[in-house]
Amino acid sequence: MDSGDDIHDANDIESLNEDIESLNDNYDNYDDDAAAADYFDDDDDDDTHPAKSRRIEQSFTILKESDIRQRQEDDIRRVAAVPSIPHGAASILLCHYNWSVSRVNDAWFADEHEVRRTVGLLEKPVYDNPADAKELTCGICFEAYPLSEIETASCGHPFCFSCWGGYIGTSINDGPGCLLLRCPESACGAAVDQDMINLLASGEDKDKYDRYLLRSYIEDNKKTKWCPAPGCEHAVNFDPTGTGKDYDVSCLCSYSFCWNCTEESHRSVDCGTVSKWILKNSSESENVTWILAKTKPCPECKRPIEKNHGCMHMTCSQPCRFEFCWICLGAWRKHGGSCNRYESGEQNETEKRREMAKKSLEKYTHYYKRWASNQSSRQKAVADLQEMQSVHMKNLGDSQRQTELELKFITEAWLQIVECRRVLKWTYAYGYYLPDNEQAKKKFFEYLQGEAESGLERLHHCAEKVIQVFLSDDPPSPSEEFNDFRKKLTELTNVTRNYFENLVKALENVHDGNPCDLDKRPWGAGAMMNEMKE
Amino acid sequence: MANSNLPRRIIKETQRLLSEPTPGISASPSEDNMRYFNVMILGPTQTPYEGGVFKLELFLPEEYPMAAPKVRFLTKIYHPNIDKLGRICLDILKDKWSPALKISTVLLSIQALLSAPNPDDPLSENIAKHWKSNEAEAVETAKEWTRLYASGA
Repeated sequence: MDSGDDIHDANDIESLNEDIESLNDNYDNYDDDAAAADYFDDDDDDDTHPAKSRRIEQSFTILKESDIRQRQEDDIRRVAAVPSIPHGAASILLCHYNWSVSRVNDAWFADEHEVRRTVGLLEKPVYDNPADAKELTCGICFEAYPLSEIETASCGHPFCFSCWGGYIGTSINDGPGCLLLRCPESACGAAVDQDMINLLASGEDKDKYDRYLLRSYIEDNKKTKWCPAPGCEHAVNFDPTGTGKDYDVSCLCSYSFCWNCTEESHRSVDCGTVSKWILKNSSESENVTWILAKTKPCPECKRPIEKNHGCMHMTCSQPCRFEFCWICLGAWRKHGGSCNRYESGEQNETEKRREMAKKSLEKYTHYYKRWASNQSSRQKAVADLQEMQSVHMKNLGDSQRQTELELKFITEAWLQIVECRRVLKWTYAYGYYLPDNEQAKKKFFEYLQGEAESGLERLHHCAEKVIQVFLSDDPPSPSEEFNDFRKKLTELTNVTRNYFENLVKALENVHDGNPCDLDKRPWGAGAMMNEMKE
Repeated sequence: MANSNLPRRIIKETQRLLSEPTPGISASPSEDNMRYFNVMILGPTQTPYEGGVFKLELFLPEEYPMAAPKVRFLTKIYHPNIDKLGRICLDILKDKWSPALKISTVLLSIQALLSAPNPDDPLSENIAKHWKSNEAEAVETAKEWTRLYASGA
């Protein structure tokens, strides 16, 4: 063996061996993409790894359901620390202020009266029931009930248990708007809190309400999101003060995604390009066409809205509630009913987009083929890596008399391939959207992409084909030949890594001068992006 | 049969509607379906609808009173908040509905809408435009329509 190849002291070797073992253990539990993601995240000590070296510190925390409940309860308690705010009221206040304790506190101490009015926390009843009454009439079924069967919110309007149950149930089954439930009396704004829900709703409805409350904590909070992997129930808390523009997040379920747009990780290409590309690739292109033709995005939160009837005064659904004019999409408050801004611009835009898509079909096919083949090549690489780990490594160790550590260069090569295929895949989405008239930029990009790609092909070939001779039923005896292979594969891994780092750097520098359309993305991600740039 | 499970609240409301009618408004349930009401509203005085008798239909859905009644004008009417199919743009029939509201309050609100058209929140774009650009002329048209379609003949 060439002693110059591996220079480690004994401790190093031991700890690395442990690493490899733990990797193997993890590997058995996952398949496909999940496994690769797991690899990238577990080898924390390995600072030579491209995925790792750029992450200076982790800017996110993964939250399990118990963590979420704990944080939510902590926040409610922090608000309820103010003596005049009971627990139930604290929860309602936080719902109104997107679960920001500081915003609740600011608003409360700036104008408690106004906050109480908007949120519906009344200090004393507005409706006086006769003090000596033995029975009260329910405001919904108009039947008289003894006081013990009547319940009221802070306002005092009396309703019977059964009507309360029906009212609360209807609201809960209508969706998350039930979190801001008010007294059933028309135009009475008194809030109905979770204590009342628990007293008056059915078991099933209570569970649903509880679920909505939990979801609200994640979905209405700007710093948290659900992991988008199907079936995963974890949430992610992202701290934008971290490492700048690295949005890659890896969940405990091992799915790794972009915090900003919640698509799979796509570093080197900006979110706007990815979202356009995915929309374009969507097999449900019929749906997309329909959405483009029949809906308009809410001017505030960008969710597509279909108008099925009624007047032009639109109110977006929970939690957005933005009021706007269907015709001009301007804020309703600013425009008072008259709308002379209606021009055919909207339709032209849609038409233009379709026309362009038609023209660029050929171009699109070119890029899509390469995007898709890198995608499948990556999946194959993940499977090959797994097979290498589970089957060939041991045989290879035996036939070439190599230790697991000495064979680590093969795993590293495959990890590099998996990562590069991902990056390369997204550069084809980037290339597709590169404007035709920016020739210089295009040439430079295609040069870097070409270099990276041919490097990767050589590496992939070496890791997949050249190795075969050592994996055959009749492998050559331990020899210089294997050391040559080691040298070659290690070198190719390093060269390819460099090519890709250059490519990624070049693409990211382009973004700096040309920020993606983050401000137009839903849920205020754009605002956060701006903060981070400073 | 549809009427066998009629909630007590609907029976009470119906009795009240028949025994204590609101001036200018009449509502009587259909014999076939106690959830379906034939409604007549007299055009309020000092409005372009004065002298008109407007027919409406009102239906109480299964979820009533948790969901709002469905109401529609059957008589043609020239009004910025009512479209040519008779649909009405009124907040309490949509997101401001409350189960503490009743058939009678809904009909009162519709009567009030006739007295106070709101072209700033239009359902019928053309009528609203007309109303804002030339109110006198729009009122004339509304009177004309009242005479043509709502004269009670």
